[in-house]
Amino acid sequence: MSLKRDLPTSTMSGFALSGILVLTLLNILLQNMPNSIQTAGNELLKLNANEGVANAVTAVVVYFRGFDTLGEIAVLFIASLGLGLMLNSNTKCDIKAESNFMLQTASRLLFPIILLFGIYVMIYGHLSPGGGFQGGVIIASAVLLLLISHKEFEVPHAVIIALETFAGVSYVLIGLVGLLVLDTFLGNFLPHDISQMGLLLSGGIIPLIYIIVGIKVGSEMSMIAQNLIKRSNDV
Amino acid sequence: MIGFIILVTFIGIVIVAFSAVIQKKLADSVILLMGVGLGSVVLFFIFKAPDVALTEAVIGSGISSLIFLMALKHLDEKV
Amino acid sequence: MFEFLNQPEVIKIIVTIGSMALFFVGLFGLLTRKHIIKIFMSIAIMESSLFLFFIGLTFNTNFIAPILDNTHVNISNMNDPIPHAMILTAIVIGMAVLALGVSFAIEYYKLTGKTNIDEMNEMKH
Repeated sequence: MSLKRDLPTSTMSGFALSGILVLTLLNILLQNMPNSIQTAGNELLKLNANEGVANAVTAVVVYFRGFDTLGEIAVLFIASLGLGLMLNSNTKCDIKAESNFMLQTASRLLFPIILLFGIYVMIYGHLSPGGGFQGGVIIASAVLLLLISHKEFEVPHAVIIALETFAGVSYVLIGLVGLLVLDTFLGNFLPHDISQMGLLLSGGIIPLIYIIVGIKVGSEMSMIAQNLIKRSNDV
Repeated sequence: MIGFIILVTFIGIVIVAFSAVIQKKLADSVILLMGVGLGSVVLFFIFKAPDVALTEAVIGSGISSLIFLMALKHLDEKV
Repeated sequence: MFEFLNQPEVIKIIVTIGSMALFFVGLFGLLTRKHIIKIFMSIAIMESSLFLFFIGLTFNTNFIAPILDNTHVNISNMNDPIPHAMILTAIVIGMAVLALGVSFAIEYYKLTGKTNIDEMNEMKH
C-alpha cells in the first residue's frame, strides 16, 4: 500500500517511546506542586491598586516591566528592517488581473469599520482586555485587506517612516522625562488617582505609552505586509 | 465539565497538527495551521486569560498565514 | 466521569500530556520533512505548544481574570498577571523571527532555485 511508504513507521515509534518516557518523568516531577502558590503576582496585584489601572496585565507590561517592552519593540524593528533589505527587486510588480467586483466593494465598506475597531481596542487597553499590540495588528490587517483587493493601492513610504520614527523616539523621551522628574526611568509623573479607576483619563502615563506602542506595531506590520505583496517579479 | 472540554480540545488540536505535518500540498497545511491557532484561542479562553487569547487570535490567524502564503507564492508552488 | 475529570491533579496531567504531545508532533515534522517552508511551520507548532503549557500550569477553577472592577475588588482569587505579560511578548517576537526566516528562504530560492534541503550542499567539501 502507498500508505506504508509515506509514513516512516520506525521514526514515529521511536518518537512515541521517547515521548512516553519524558511524559512520565514530567508527571512525577509535577505531582508535588501545591494548588495555590504565593508568587510575585500577588504582590504586584496589591501594588497595582495604587496605580489606578483596571487591567493588571497592562500595568505589568507597560509599567512594572516597561524595559522589556522597549527591547521587544527593538526586536520587531530589526526584523522588519531585515525583511525590507532582503526582498529587494529592481522590477516593479505589475498585477495582470483585476480583482472581483464583490471583493472591491466589500473591502471599501469594511475598511473604516475595522480601522475604528482597532483604534477602540488600542485606546481602551487599560480598562478592558486589549491594548497596543492587539489594536496595532488589527489596524495592519485592515490595510492588508485593501492591499489585496486594489492593485494600485500603496501606503506612501514617507508616512510610515514618519509614524515609526515619532513613536520610537517619543517612547524613549517619555522615559527620560520620568528620569528627570522622579529619579526612575519610565516613572509615572502624571497624576494617577485611585479614585479615578475605570475612567478613560486614569493611570498616568500608562495609556499614553500603550498608544505609542500600538502605533509602532501597526505601522511595522503594514510595512511587512506591503513588502511581501508588492515586491516580487511577477504576481 | 471543564475537564472534559479541555480533554476534547487537546485531542482535536493534536489531530489537526499531525494532519498539517503529513499533508502533501503545502496550501492545505497552512490552513490546518490556522486550525491549531483556533483551538489554542479556545483553550486560552477557558484558562481565563483574555489578553493572551486576543493576541493569539489576531496573530495566529491573520499575520502568520499571510507570511506563509506569500512565501509559497514567491517560491512558485502550485497554490 | 465528569466529576473525576474536574479534579485539579487530573487537569494538570491532561495539560502536561496534551502540550507535550503537540511538542513532539512539531519535533517529528521538523526532523523528517524536506521542504523548507514545512520546517518553519513545524517550528510554529512547537512554539504554540509551549504557550499552552505555560498558561495551563497556573489554571485553577476558582480564579477569575485579572481585571479590577466595581464588583471585583477582591484580589485574593485573581489569576496571576505575570505569565500573561511574558507570553504576550513571546507570541509577537516568535512571529517576527519567523517572518525574517521566510525572507531568507525566498532570497535563497531566487539565487539558486532549490527548496529541498537535501540539495542545498554548497558548503560541502
